[in-house]
Amino acid sequence: MRKGRDMSELDFEMRLDRMFAEPPHFPDAELFARDVETRLERGWSVRRLFIGAAGVVAALVGVGQFMGAGLFLRSASGELTAQAGAVGKAARELLSASSNFGAIPVSSEVLWMTAGLGVMALGFVITRATQEF
Amino acid sequence: MAQTRAVAGLHDVELAALAAAGERPAFGELVRRHGSAVRGLLRRMGAQPALADDIAQDAFLTAFERIAEFRGEGAFGAWVKRIAARLYVRRWRKDSRLTEEQEQDDAGHGGEVSTVARIDLDEAMQSLSDPERMCVSLCYGAGMSHAEAAETLNTPLGTVKSHVKRGMDKLRLRLAPAQGEGRDAERQGHV
Repeated sequence: MRKGRDMSELDFEMRLDRMFAEPPHFPDAELFARDVETRLERGWSVRRLFIGAAGVVAALVGVGQFMGAGLFLRSASGELTAQAGAVGKAARELLSASSNFGAIPVSSEVLWMTAGLGVMALGFVITRATQEF
Repeated sequence: MAQTRAVAGLHDVELAALAAAGERPAFGELVRRHGSAVRGLLRRMGAQPALADDIAQDAFLTAFERIAEFRGEGAFGAWVKRIAARLYVRRWRKDSRLTEEQEQDDAGHGGEVSTVARIDLDEAMQSLSDPERMCVSLCYGAGMSHAEAAETLNTPLGTVKSHVKRGMDKLRLRLAPAQGEGRDAERQGHV
């Protein structure tokens, strides 16, 4: 009796497994799939926009850094020149070093180049945004 | 369109690998294949249709985010079902519906058993109390063990086992073929 009951329980469990495994039919299944895809696309677009925006911010920060570095080098150069006159050999070495830094073209060309890259990044973001939305 | 046709013939594991590489059409195909099963499970768990669809969508989006974790050891459908079930349980618990009081109110709800005609699983599930429906769905629908269901529901294992037992007893009564219709019901049940 006990064994028979166990068997019927097992049969019922298997039947229940089959019933659960059988997906119900939804007439709007395709619509549901499209909704998920749309949300997925939207998520990716937002993500890309964030990445693009981060790129632009990074480019702007880069421009700022270059500008700041140029000003720093110029001021550093000036200070070192003044010190060089006062302390002699060591200062002269520093002056020489600072004049070497001055040789690095951190000038208007670099500034324009960086700004150009920033504009290109911004253009890329706008293009992506118009494509996505 | 051609891309959709190309992915249609691939196995779930291949589609998941493509999706992990960023191929969204491949993931779309997985949604097409398993969307109904996930939505059906959530409704059987007791979610209203709109909520079930929202959670099913969230489950698929979560699955896409975590697709690299799917290594093809189990079925993709079962994996997403578990994600969906866990999301629904979290929502359900937030609504604080898993209370002893309600459980007691619902006890005996499934006693109104009619064996006049064969009824389908979705109808039969309605006769279960919320905790019973949840436990049975997690164990049979989402393929969780009793221990996993207990962990998901943050409920003692013994409680889960007794909910499953009571739920199964009610379902057995509800799904039992009616006298004289047994053969027909059995045939339909095995289709």
